[in-house]
Order: sequence, then structure tokens, then C-alpha cells
Amino acid sequence: MIGRKLTWPLAFVLFGALIVSLFPVFWIVMTAIKPPTDWNASPAIWFPSHPTLVNFKTLFDPDAIRAYGVGGVSQAATTSVYGSLLASIVGTVLSVAIGLFAAIGISRYANGGKATPLIILSGRMFPPAAIAVPFVIIYSNVGLIDTFRGLIAIYVAGTLPFSTWMLKSFVDDLPREIEEAAMIDGRSRLMAHLVVTIPLIRSGLLATTLFIFILNWSEFMFALVLSYSNVTTIPVQLARYVTATAGTLYGVQAALAVLAMLPLILAGLFIQSHLARGMTFGAVKR
Amino acid sequence: MSETNELRMVSQIPDLATDDVPKAGIVRGKLRDNRLGQLLMLPGQIVSLLVLVIPLLVAFYISFTDWTPTRGSLVQATLVGLDNYKELLVYDTRFVEAVVRTLLISVVCLALEFVFGLALAVLFLREFRGKAILFSAFLTPMMILPVVVGYTFWMLFQSNGPINQLLMLVFGEAAGLQWFRSAPLAISAVIITEVWHWTPLFFLILLSGLNAVPENPVRAAVILGATPRQVFWWIVLPMLKPVIIVAFVIRAMEIIKLFDEVFMLTRGGPGTSTETISLYIYKLAFSDFQLAYGAAAAFLVLLGTLLLIHLLLSPIRNQLLEARR
Amino acid sequence: MSVPKLEIINLRKVFGNGSVVAVDGIDFAIEAGETVALLGPSGCGKSTTLNMIVGLEDPTSGDIRIDGRSIVGVPPGKRNVGLVFQDYAVFTHMTVFENLAFGLVIRGRAKGEITRAVHDVAELLGMQKSLKLPAAELGGSELQRVAIGRTLVTKPAILLLDEPLSNLEASARLAMRRELRRLQSEIGLTIIYVTHDQIEALSLADRIAVMNAGKLQQIERTSVICEKPDHVFVAGFMGSPPMNLLRGEIARDGAITGFRREDLFIQLPPSEIVSSGRAGQPIILGVRPESLRLALADESMIFGKVTIVEPRGPEAVVTVEAGAISLKAVVLASGRPQEGSNVGLVADPSSFVFFSGETGRRLAS
Repeated sequence: MIGRKLTWPLAFVLFGALIVSLFPVFWIVMTAIKPPTDWNASPAIWFPSHPTLVNFKTLFDPDAIRAYGVGGVSQAATTSVYGSLLASIVGTVLSVAIGLFAAIGISRYANGGKATPLIILSGRMFPPAAIAVPFVIIYSNVGLIDTFRGLIAIYVAGTLPFSTWMLKSFVDDLPREIEEAAMIDGRSRLMAHLVVTIPLIRSGLLATTLFIFILNWSEFMFALVLSYSNVTTIPVQLARYVTATAGTLYGVQAALAVLAMLPLILAGLFIQSHLARGMTFGAVKR
Repeated sequence: MSETNELRMVSQIPDLATDDVPKAGIVRGKLRDNRLGQLLMLPGQIVSLLVLVIPLLVAFYISFTDWTPTRGSLVQATLVGLDNYKELLVYDTRFVEAVVRTLLISVVCLALEFVFGLALAVLFLREFRGKAILFSAFLTPMMILPVVVGYTFWMLFQSNGPINQLLMLVFGEAAGLQWFRSAPLAISAVIITEVWHWTPLFFLILLSGLNAVPENPVRAAVILGATPRQVFWWIVLPMLKPVIIVAFVIRAMEIIKLFDEVFMLTRGGPGTSTETISLYIYKLAFSDFQLAYGAAAAFLVLLGTLLLIHLLLSPIRNQLLEARR
Repeated sequence: MSVPKLEIINLRKVFGNGSVVAVDGIDFAIEAGETVALLGPSGCGKSTTLNMIVGLEDPTSGDIRIDGRSIVGVPPGKRNVGLVFQDYAVFTHMTVFENLAFGLVIRGRAKGEITRAVHDVAELLGMQKSLKLPAAELGGSELQRVAIGRTLVTKPAILLLDEPLSNLEASARLAMRRELRRLQSEIGLTIIYVTHDQIEALSLADRIAVMNAGKLQQIERTSVICEKPDHVFVAGFMGSPPMNLLRGEIARDGAITGFRREDLFIQLPPSEIVSSGRAGQPIILGVRPESLRLALADESMIFGKVTIVEPRGPEAVVTVEAGAISLKAVVLASGRPQEGSNVGLVADPSSFVFFSGETGRRLAS
């Protein structure tokens, strides 16, 4: 079963699966480079005869968008790109930093006990739509609605379980003796962690960072509920275009979608070896 | 404040089975070390407390009131006890339908994702060239934002879209479907979208699991006369059980919250035929402003999910605790 | 003459397009009811040979026959051999009963037949009480018994074991030795096992097949092999400590013939080797540590200084160095010398074993 060669029928199946996996990506890329005349063709066009990058330019040009005169949409995507970058990057850095220390704390000092994993896990089980409710209330009272601080705080808290647990599994993999050796050399415990533990889990740290970034970049619900004019992220902007124009702004929407996808696919390539660990809270290692 | 203490206590219950035998010297002494441990975990606990625990408690409180934003501040809201919960469970057919619908969709999606993921993983055990590139390619769907996935498939399922084009190519003119006009088709579209999006996760996890199956028991089974199919059924699959359950639990937790893709695909329509729990709660809270009612619904969902996960995990509870050591 | 249980005929295994010769044309036969050890250092080809008998590897050339029928090309499941892995490879997700029953279950046998067979084997191995236990809860030697039992249920023609005693503690080793001997006598099992530990080989086997660099050096009864090693390799491998080996040449001093190595000269009584050998012919003198005695000055053949004394219960292993020569002797603990003292060693010349200095083969005495 293992190590046997791929027979022709199986190769066919594999090829079919590949086509299915990549077709939607192909489609959206094609749509993004379709000139406006091709957008709503019936039947839909697969390969535009005159591919163009004009949709990408339109995204950042409020006048161009208004010119489509559809559903009163007049917002360029610039704010949303900026917003996604800010919220995701800062949210990720904070989440990973806090999670790193918590991971070292849990792994080396307390073993977490038996209840903490469940507590953290159940944080993931709550429907975001509902936890958004108290946030809206609290944030309105504290003036955090439609601010980046507010959104970033949620991004950090929401991904903290993942970052902590993923990093914990990397720290667990390091034998304790390594830190103890550094301490015998005269360093304090904290220094031992800074100088020994953290550098040794470099690749895991990178993988966790990229993984959390993917989560934050993809986040939709909270951004949708908590942002109005100052704060927008790319997913929210995309939803706005689609809702406002009943989806008819095909090329521009697809261009935004492609922009949204690119960082993630790149990040995904980098962390492939650690994906299994991240997706399963460290329960499964590659 | 007692929350923090509880959290701290809970997170520091020493794991008696694995505590090191204390050795002599200034470097040992778990009691002194614990202070650094507490310090390290403090930021995480503060964040969790402020941004997770407190809002959760507020939501919990709200769920026992009849408050809406138009009625003034929350502090003045009247407590109505379990009225919200009762109404949801007994009278609100839309809620119950949403729950059943979400569960149905979840079960179908998980089953399909498992089967396809397993098939792909088994295929990847064989030898062929370009495995690394193909592996990346197959993982791609999982990496795409749910919103984008929803939007892309919305385009694909359009009446003049490529899916209909292919169907008409194979089955003739009449095969073009109005995916978003009828309930079963809309639900199918949601399922297809979800399965496309998340099969790679099962593929990834199952492949890891398959690669981790020890070789010698497999060889022993072969020497005892087992055919490849028997080896897979009796040896490999049972050894894969913990991994399979982990994959199901992880996906189950996420798929119950299904929102982004459905939002972009159908907005819950036609009518309410693809309205998942999250969509209904969103509507309650942010269209109808029935925040208290929505909060109660959310807590019911949380309870249900906790029970479900507990049930799913019980066969491998011991193994998981062992693995955490 | 009855057909041997297992015959290996000119077996060869080559890896990587001819670059690695793991097994280089070996021949031997094993009779029914025998226990034979394949002994040799890492990389000698013993494990590859085992894998070819089991069917996990295919030979490059040569034949393997069980009960007279060739099994080359027959899939492992159909060869009717049983293999016990070094790590036992027990099915940890099943109970002991299910492990034992596995071979019959996948052959689709009737439930009653399976239960009977499993109980018989369980009784044979003393496992009746553990049948319902999950295999994951068992300890090392119990796991090994499950692994053995699992193969016995399918009534194999030959039982093969890979390093059976290496993973066990000393006390468990003794117990397993007794178990295997009992199995041999009670059900007439033919057993072949692979080991790198010559003590393991000596304690369990009827015959030992010593392998080195893909070749079979010698296959000989256990009781004899230490005293009659066919090759200098076997001589240097067997025994604890192994035979002392001195490279030198035949020397003639008038009518006296002897063994010379630099300034060491040992007179040898007349014998075929001595008379047929020419002066200067390279030769290797072998003498077992048990044959060397501490002696007084006028008796001694060699003088040297004691560098190490290793007590071993009633005996002691004494390492004596004389110039570049290092010899080990086994003496009674009561008579052991001090480290650093000067001693003389003597041995009965009839206990000497000679090997050709060119080929390493033993010269007939």
C-alpha cells in the first residue's frame, strides 16, 4: 500500500482532484483581469480575449468606482487594504508575543493542569455573532467602536488560544535540560528562556506567526460589526461591494479578492510543514 | 478578581504524574519557579479576562434580560429569568430549524470532507513525482479567506456561470440549474463550497496520521497473511482513530459557526433555507436588535457545542491527556 | 534422508545496482526442530537473510526452500513462516485475544475454531489470564509472548525471531530463554533467530551460523564452535572474552620448531602443521583465555604486566600486556594477581589453534 507506484486510473483521479482544487482560484483570477465588457457575459467567459489590469487600478480610485454608478458605491478599497494590514499585522504580533510567554509559562512551569485546555478550547466554540453583541455594547460605551484599537484587541484575544497552544507544543518539544544547561552557565531562568528557548523554536515561531496572520487577515464577522467608516478590512469591503451592487461589480470585486488571497497563499507555502500542528492545537504533529 | 485567581489556580495545578524528581541545587525548587511562570502567563490571562471573559459574562447577563438598545442603558434592564431561553427552545421554530439545518449541513460536510480527504491522503502514500508541488496545490483551498471562497462560488454558481456551463455541456441544455432559487440547490451549493474549502484540512491531518502509523505492525499483519485491504481496515484505520477524531472535532467546532461563506453565497436564502445558527444570531442581534434574545441563543449554542465536543472526544480522552504530557 | 526444514541455496542479495552486496552467496540447511542462531556484527547480512526468508525482501539470486518447496516469489502471507520483530510490533489497539486471533480471523476461519486455537496457544505460553487485556497495557516480556503467540496460532513451519533477547532485562531474558527452549521441546518448533550477541546465540541455539560481510563463515554446533572455530573471524567473535589471536610466523631453530612473533618464541611440539609449514610462513596462533594459566618463571611461555583485572564472580579476567601483545586469561578469582604486577602465562600446546596468516582459515592440527 505504501510506496507503490501510481497506476493510470489513480493518476487520473489525482489530476481530476487537482483541477477541482484549483478551478475556483483560476476563475477568480480570470475574472479579476476581465475588462468590464466581459463581466456579465452569458454564458460566462473563461478566458478574456483582452485581459487587463484596469480593475486593480479602479479599486484604488474612488472616482472610477463612482463612475460605475451602481448602488451608490463610491468607496475605494484603499482604506480597507490599509486597515487589513494594520489590524492583521499588529494583532498577530501581539497575539504571538503574549502567546509565546504564556506558552513558555504553561509548558515549563505549570503543565497547564487539566482544565485550562478545555477553557481555552471552549473560547473557540462560541459563535462570534453573539460575542460581538457585548463587544458592541462595551465598545460603544468606551469609545472603541470603529477604532483599530478595538478591533486589534479582539483579534489578539480571539487568536490567543491558537498562538498559545501552537507555541506550547513547540516548547514542549524542547527538552528541559537545554534551559537548565543555560542556567548552570549562570543565567537566570528568564534569560535562559530569552537566549535559549526562543531562538530554538524559531521555525515554529515563524509558522505560528504566519498561521495567526492568516486567521486575522481572514476575519470577517467582527470587522463587519465593529467598523463603520474609519476602520474597514478587505473582507468587509468585498462584502460591501457585493451587497451594494448585487454582485455586479465583478471585475473589481474579483480584483479585491485576488489581492486578499495573495498574502495568504504565500504565507501558506511557508508554513506548510507546520500546518497540521497549527490546525489541531498541537495534537497532531507532522 | 476571583476570576483571575481561579484562572491562575487552574492553570497551575501541577501535573503530579510528570513532575520531575526535585534535584539538589539552587536551580530547582518548583515553588520559586512558579513565580516566573505566573508572570509569564499573566499577560495572556489579562487579555483573556478583559477581552474574552468579561464580554462573555456581560453577554450572559444580557441573556437573562429583555434589553434592547432602544430601551436605555443596560444597567436598568429588567431581568426576565429564563424567558429568552424558553422562547428559543419552545416557540422559536426558526431557531430550532437553524440548529437542525446547521447540524445537517455539518454532518454532510464533515462526512464528505473525511472521505475525500482520506482518499487523497491514501493516494499520497504512493510514489510519484512532483509530490511536493501537488501537496501545496491541494492545500490551497484551505488557505483562502472564507469571504473570498463564498464570493467565488457565488460567481461559479450563477445561472450563466461555469458550473452550469459544464452541466449543460454534459447533460444538455436543460441541465442548467437555478442554484439560488430553490432550497435544496442552495443548500447543496453551500455544502459544495464548504467541502471544497476544508477537505484539504482532513487531507493534511490524515496524511500526517498515515505517515505516523508504525511500519512493523503493518509488516507483521502482512506476514500473518493480511491483504492490503485487510491491513488498512484492521490495522491502519484503527490506529488512525485518534487523529480522525481530532480532525472531526476541530472542524466540527468551526463548521457550527458557519457564517462567512453563507453570508456571501446566499445570505441565508432563499427565504431562510440556508440560514445557519450564526446567521440567525447575526440577524437577531444586528438587524432586529434583539440583543438579549440573540445572546441567549448564543449560549444555547455554546452549551450544545460543548456537549457535542465532549461526546466526540470521549473515546480518545485518555489518549489525548497522555499525549499532552 | 528426510528433507531439511529450511534450505538456503547460494542466496545472494545486492542493493543499489550492484554497489552494495548484502548477502554474498550463502548456503546452509536447517533440520526440523532445530534452533539456529544467525550471528554476526552489524551489517553482516543476517537481517537481510531473515527478511528474505520471511519475504519482506526478494533475493537477487539463489533459492530458499521450506519443506523442499521453493518459496522465492511467494508473498509473505502465504509462506507459512512466523516472524517476531525486535520491537514485537504487537497490535496495540487490540486485546491480547484479538492479537492472537488475527491470523485466523483474516483467513475467515470459524469462530469456534479460532477460539480453540487461541486458547491452546495462550495455555502454551501461560497467557490465559491476560486474554481480555488491551495489548497496550502489557510490559516488555508479555508483549513478546503475545508476538510469539500471534505467529504460533497460524501454525507456522518455521518461527523466526529478530534479536529476541536484546530488549529484555536480565531476569526476563532468562525466562524467555526457558520459554523458547520449552516451545522447542513441547511442539518441536523449528526456530531461527538473528542476533549480534554471541552470548544470546550460545545460550539458545543448537547450532550457530556466524556471518560476516555477507558471507557465512561457519555453521557449527554450539558446543563445538568455540573450540573449533573455522576462521579467525569466528575465533575472535565467539566467547567472552574471545580467543586470543597472535599474528606471527613459523620459525625453525635447528630441530626445534615454534611460533615466533618479534622477540616472542613459543616452542611447539611436533605436529602436522609444524612439520608441513615452512619457516617464515605467516600463521595466527589462537589460544582461549580459559586455556591460559598463571605460571612460575621457569614454566612460563610469556611474561608481561597485568594491566586490568576484571572480577567476574568465581573467576576473573586478567589482561596481560607484553610489549605490543595483549592477552586475556581467565583465572580463578582466588588466585588473581594484582594490577601492575609482573606475571608469567603458560598454556598446554595441544589447546593451541592455528589459522593461516593468509586466508584466516583454520589449519587442521
